[in-house]
Amino acid sequence: MEIPIIEAHNLTVLYGRKPAIWNVDFKLPEGQVIGIMGPNGSGKSTLLKAIMGVVKPTTGYTKLYDQELEKVRHKVSYVPQRQEIDWDFPASVWDVVSMGRFRVRGIFKRLTSEDNDIIKESLGKVNMLGFAKRQISQLSGGQQQRVFLARALAQQGELFLMDEPFAGVDVATEELIIDLLKDMKSNGKTLIIVHHDLHTAQSYFDHLVLMNTRLVACGKTSDVFTDQILTDTYGGKLTTIAKISQELENKEFPIRHR
Amino acid sequence: MNDFYIILTACLVAINCAIMGSFLVMRKMVMIGDAISHAVLPGIFFAYIFSGSTSSLPILAGAASSGILATIIIEWLTHKAKLQSDASIGISYTLLFAIGIILISKFGANADIDQQCVLYGELEYVPLWLEPIIGNFYLPKQTIILLIVSVVVLLAVIWGYKGLFITTFDENYSLSIGIGVGFWHYFLMSGVSLTTVVSFESVGAILVIAFLSGPPAIAYLLTGNFRKMLVLSCAFGILCSIIGYYLAKSLDVSVAGSISVVIGGVFAIVFTATTLQKSKIDVISN
Repeated sequence: MEIPIIEAHNLTVLYGRKPAIWNVDFKLPEGQVIGIMGPNGSGKSTLLKAIMGVVKPTTGYTKLYDQELEKVRHKVSYVPQRQEIDWDFPASVWDVVSMGRFRVRGIFKRLTSEDNDIIKESLGKVNMLGFAKRQISQLSGGQQQRVFLARALAQQGELFLMDEPFAGVDVATEELIIDLLKDMKSNGKTLIIVHHDLHTAQSYFDHLVLMNTRLVACGKTSDVFTDQILTDTYGGKLTTIAKISQELENKEFPIRHR
Repeated sequence: MNDFYIILTACLVAINCAIMGSFLVMRKMVMIGDAISHAVLPGIFFAYIFSGSTSSLPILAGAASSGILATIIIEWLTHKAKLQSDASIGISYTLLFAIGIILISKFGANADIDQQCVLYGELEYVPLWLEPIIGNFYLPKQTIILLIVSVVVLLAVIWGYKGLFITTFDENYSLSIGIGVGFWHYFLMSGVSLTTVVSFESVGAILVIAFLSGPPAIAYLLTGNFRKMLVLSCAFGILCSIIGYYLAKSLDVSVAGSISVVIGGVFAIVFTATTLQKSKIDVISN
């Protein structure tokens, strides 16, 4: 592997006494679409937060571009989980996306016309330019997610960490995000995405991190997306789900395929 | 002229509280104003003991530092001891307030600290202490202090608007782009402490809370833009002060109480109106 874009070493985060992630080590390559997967409560979101300095690791450390986060923060954009904020906040789509420029421009400086152009461009990329003045409480789930993506795009970073961008979005938004990810990848960006849906994992990601509080596997999707590793990650739950869907397929129930 | 002095004082308090309150309401921590206004008591006591005077400046400094101490304890209990934020507020301010009461009842028998006054204020007496400004123009001492604080609060909020806005809206994202969430928290808390301390001396703790929560809540119902919410809260604070004052005068009741009631009344009217409007829109869109 070339220089890893993210490296985690002995990373442990405790919430109270309960470990959210336990002794995780991995290295991730640059320029790829990387999925972080695991069952509910397996520490996927906490991992992103620890990388971004939102939660402090109890032990261990992470490095980005072989450096401390503080030195490369301008290259990294974080897309939090949509449910984490109050969407009834009195703010417009424009207000939220402009936050992506706050740190770049300096928190005490006024945004310039250059910033405004970047905000417009970012809104355009997620097809939300027509909604710039819309109050955020009037957006659908998919539109909220696009606003969050636009805010991250406005930072003009190289590395994107996204927490469940596909959760609860409509089909149009999902397709738009996929196209956007492809476009970003072809521009040399690295995308790290916490994801839920096993069905789409193989088609979305080049590289996978599978975890269940501990790291189960990390590697090329073709190498790690195996029955054995998935069973190790999801435990008994997966086999039940797999059995049910197999059963449904056998009886030709109409379930959605991708 | 007394009418003018009292209304001006109430309006200045209203403006300060509306601005600070708008941020507090959106951060779901408006009761921190209540906490600060009670927690100031030990600070006032020590300032009185050490300076030996009841002159405003040392008392204000003592009160403000005691208020900030309360916010530090609350922050510590919430984030380090993982206590619910409302429980943290309850524990810290009752403790500080009680310590203040004990200190005063034990050592401050001759101190001129009236607990009635702390709760209900002395808005009616504001015009008793006048200071000359220019020629024949006088302003009450309290009003002058409030005016200075208003200017400080306004400048601070304009200067730090983006920092306050982003950390209020999305704390995790702010941390991720390297914005000092702790700095902005204490920046706001210092403003709230200063505002509360100078305000409750003139209008009492109850009206301070009413001003911190009422006008911002009314404005929140009416707009989806935070800047407009700030302006509207100030406007409603001023409106309620004026109506409340004349209501109190005509009924011959407490001014602070009357303004609080008007704030409650205006909230009820606006709430009903916006709810009716919303259900109308729902009917049309269905």
